[in-house]
Amino acid sequence: MAGTLVPTLVLPLLLVAFIILRLGMQIAFPIERGLVFPMALVPGLWGLWNMLWEWSHEHTHLPVGIHGAILPLLLMPAGATVGTYLGILALGAQGVTWFQDVYVPYAWIAPCFLAALAGYYLAWKYIVGYVNRMLGIA
Amino acid sequence: MKSREQGFGNREQKTEIRDQDADRIKQLLKRAIPRMGDDAELDRDLWPAMLQRIDHENVRRGARIPWFDWALAGGLVAFAAIVPRTIPVILYYL
Repeated sequence: MAGTLVPTLVLPLLLVAFIILRLGMQIAFPIERGLVFPMALVPGLWGLWNMLWEWSHEHTHLPVGIHGAILPLLLMPAGATVGTYLGILALGAQGVTWFQDVYVPYAWIAPCFLAALAGYYLAWKYIVGYVNRMLGIA
Repeated sequence: MKSREQGFGNREQKTEIRDQDADRIKQLLKRAIPRMGDDAELDRDLWPAMLQRIDHENVRRGARIPWFDWALAGGLVAFAAIVPRTIPVILYYL
């Protein structure tokens, strides 16, 4: 449960963004397809990752923040694969196009990945770790 | 005629066996799940203990957030401010 908390908190924000962009501003993004990964897969993966930490913590003694920062290594290729199959990510010669609109040059992929690592590290250390302690898991 | 009677007999037998199985499962479930009884309330309030734990955790956490974590958080905010187009991509992974 502690692991699924953060993505579950982000979900209402995504839904609000969806309602504003699609129903309010009538923007023709493929948003529904873009929501499949964050709504259906990410919360479950966070929960499983937290269960894996609880199971392996006694042997590895890995801090929860570091454990969480490893997750983007799996999520990024998985998300890119799902995005490509759903048609929300297009690979180009110079960069990738997300949601048929957001163009990210390949040079920016590494900084994006580092930002994801940092974000995941902080979220897992301060939110997942906190909830784990509150629930008496850690 | 005889085969029809036999068919009815088989069907009744099957229904009887199914009923017996259902009764057996009911008995097993009753035995496995403890009875709640009339007094299903907890004998103490758990919320004050939870509040105490939250307070204790907040004091502990607020006292020691390393500078490195502040720097990371600042870097993240700066990154989002410099390249705001990456925000939907980052949200996609949350």
